[in-house]
Amino acid sequence: MKQFLAILFLALTTLFEAAAQTRMDGTVRDAQGPLAGVNVFVVGTLDGSITDSLGRFSFVTRQTGECVLRASMLGYEEFSIKADATRLQGQDIFLREKAASLDEVVVTASTYSIGKSNQIKTMDALDVVMAGNSCGDVVAALQVLPGTQKVGENGKLYVRGGDSDECQTFVNGMHVLVPYSTNVEGQNQRGRFSPFLFKGMSFSLGGYGGEYGQALSSVLPMETTDVASSDKLGVSASLVDWSLGGTKAFRRSSLSFNANYIGMGPYTRIFPDRCDWTRPYGKLSGEAQYKWELSKRSVLKTYAGYDWTTVGMRTEGRNLSMTEHNLYANATLRSQLGRGWTLFAGMAESAVLSDMDDALMAGDHYHNRRNEVHLKTEVQKRFTPLFKMSAGVEDYLRASDKQYEKTGYELDYNLLGIHVDAQVRLVPRLFLNLSARGERLSYSREWLLMPRATLSFVPGTRFQASVMIGRYSQTPEDDYVARGQYKLRQSTADHLILSMQYSGAHTLLRVEPYYKWYHHLPLLTEGLYKADGYGCSRGVDVYLEDSSLLRNLSLSAAYSFNDSQRLYLDYDAPHTPEYASRHNLRLTAKYAIGKVILGLAETYASGRKYVAGTTPYYNSLDANITWLAHPKVIVYASLNNLLGRTNIYRINPDGTQVGATRDRFFYLGVFVSLKNNKAYDISNF
Amino acid sequence: MTSRIFNLRLIAVTVSLMTAFSLCQAQDAQMMGSLIGQSLSKLQEDSSPEAFQNCVAELKRIDAMYPGHAAPKYYAALESLNFAVMNPQAEQAESMIAEAEQAITQLEELPEADQSDLCTLKGFLYMVRIVQNPAVNGQRYYLDVMNYYEKALKLNPDNQLAQQLQQKFHEGMNKR
Repeated sequence: MKQFLAILFLALTTLFEAAAQTRMDGTVRDAQGPLAGVNVFVVGTLDGSITDSLGRFSFVTRQTGECVLRASMLGYEEFSIKADATRLQGQDIFLREKAASLDEVVVTASTYSIGKSNQIKTMDALDVVMAGNSCGDVVAALQVLPGTQKVGENGKLYVRGGDSDECQTFVNGMHVLVPYSTNVEGQNQRGRFSPFLFKGMSFSLGGYGGEYGQALSSVLPMETTDVASSDKLGVSASLVDWSLGGTKAFRRSSLSFNANYIGMGPYTRIFPDRCDWTRPYGKLSGEAQYKWELSKRSVLKTYAGYDWTTVGMRTEGRNLSMTEHNLYANATLRSQLGRGWTLFAGMAESAVLSDMDDALMAGDHYHNRRNEVHLKTEVQKRFTPLFKMSAGVEDYLRASDKQYEKTGYELDYNLLGIHVDAQVRLVPRLFLNLSARGERLSYSREWLLMPRATLSFVPGTRFQASVMIGRYSQTPEDDYVARGQYKLRQSTADHLILSMQYSGAHTLLRVEPYYKWYHHLPLLTEGLYKADGYGCSRGVDVYLEDSSLLRNLSLSAAYSFNDSQRLYLDYDAPHTPEYASRHNLRLTAKYAIGKVILGLAETYASGRKYVAGTTPYYNSLDANITWLAHPKVIVYASLNNLLGRTNIYRINPDGTQVGATRDRFFYLGVFVSLKNNKAYDISNF
Repeated sequence: MTSRIFNLRLIAVTVSLMTAFSLCQAQDAQMMGSLIGQSLSKLQEDSSPEAFQNCVAELKRIDAMYPGHAAPKYYAALESLNFAVMNPQAEQAESMIAEAEQAITQLEELPEADQSDLCTLKGFLYMVRIVQNPAVNGQRYYLDVMNYYEKALKLNPDNQLAQQLQQKFHEGMNKR
């Protein structure tokens, strides 16, 4: 009897349990059809299931009465329905694709990124070192990108028909007055920063937002690495440079230093060139960084670097001698204040002192001192995932003096800039970035207002198209301001850029036609510089990157067409600037075999027009090899201009041709980590 | 005197309310912990891809029950990455990694999230990327993996997961 009662009790319990359970089932689909892997569940419980390949779900819940059934999947709007549990059977759920918010979309138009980011062209510092003919120079590495021009006599960045000083460099948002080290004509002027300093760079070829000013053509913002978590010590040596650097990591901060000497003396003795050196190029530099995580959301970064450069050569019967001291220091604080607010404040100091003997004739002396203090603060607020704003104010305080024999000038002025930027998602897949920048130049007391806008269509992760339009300004060089009797207003450039990009798993294609109109360029008129110059630059940049052909092989091709005309400086009629070449092509290949990485780069640029004629085309085929010899040793070698072509850079009015001082350049470097627990990590910083 | 009694009562009531509130919170956390434990224990019996997917889905249901808490997000990210590292070429690997990335982003917004755990997850994420494509991602993400594990252990030297993952990573590197 007892047994019978127990069985009866169990049977009844099971029956009631079954009666208390409700089966929920149905299907989930999107516009394309059934969706697999959707998490369907009753909110507040663990009851639920994942949809199968046909989008079906089925599960049992003990919930009774009113409950919420939810279907969620990454990339889709969440679906919820509230009803009595018994009425939630046989659901046919439709999920809408979720349109990306501002934080999820990175508009890549006109920008190439180096470092870890969502933007394209993700190279790291080692890639920079290994790029074609860069020899570890950031500026040279960037010249594999479209939109840049090959100007062999100085190696500086020339972008989309603009002069080299139209491209400005920023470190942690702060301006660098002179980002190159000095050299004599015909020699490359290397960028003064090591690629290992930075975790990311965003090279913008135009159409940038309101934050950046004083750049007519392009900007190169670079972000230094974060607080180091471990100690490092390393040395490197090559035929031309020697370095020692390291980092001491503390609990929430790190201190880094780097000392470097570049000396062309030994190299020139082994491989003589066509110059008669009295003092081969030498540069001694030291850098230090201190980074401190003040709190979880606040970081203070400081940087100080000093370069001493010296070079001398015998030319045209005189002993040209150059010396330059270049000091740059900055300190920035970035703090997330909560509720979507971010505060940035920074200050930077640039001081450059140049002296030259026998500059133009035997016995003369040239002296130039330039100083700039850059102060900047900015606040950003993310109001919603679809709308954010930023506003900032900055001041450039500049002073310079220049003396050549008994003539010279002293300049002292400041430039105040304010900007407001707004980013908004207008409708799903359509994004607008609106900004306005105002600048006031102290000596002319004029205000300049520059509106800028970027409209982007981003239908998915693979394709995006943007149109950018905006006005940009830049104060003319000190020489022109002085010779313009402080009346020279700022030059301006209007950019119109169309950008289309396809990004597949292994292939990237970007096409960017552009048009730039220049106004108020300095023009020499009756012995004075006036803002009467003008010009235009138009063209198209094409960039293709592919890694699908062969495993471990990556290829890139960058082609730029540029048609540029200007009336400025001492021109008597509009014509193509001497630095501009109509066609530029770069092809690169990188192939990894085990611990050896082989690189090949081909650079072609069509001839440049001078009054006395057009130069022959430029061509250089470069090869490099990187050997990861040991976890703590990297060996790198490169040979530029394999074919030994003598490239001509300029034709003087008397018809003489000026070209490269050497046809080939061989570089061999060894990087050694002395104290580092990470393999293949350059320890200098 | 009345005011003094009133003040004492006020303090007593406040303390009682606070105690009750924290007890509820503690119970809440206990309940949440128990649910997470139940969910994770299923993986000990079955570690098939389906079991991982179900586990992550359950953890996301728990997350919907306790939206302000870090634990469900942390475990959802961890198990998603566990799945991806064990099945790097699986069809669902990319979506699981995307789930982990989303959970990490959400954790970054939470003040209660443990920074050492967060660094561990970030290191693990880059490690999974390397496992997926060592030839391309090895050089690109190697230092990030190392830096994140180092930072995780600097913030909490007793972080066992960071220790284990760092050790696994070293072993993997030495084999190459």
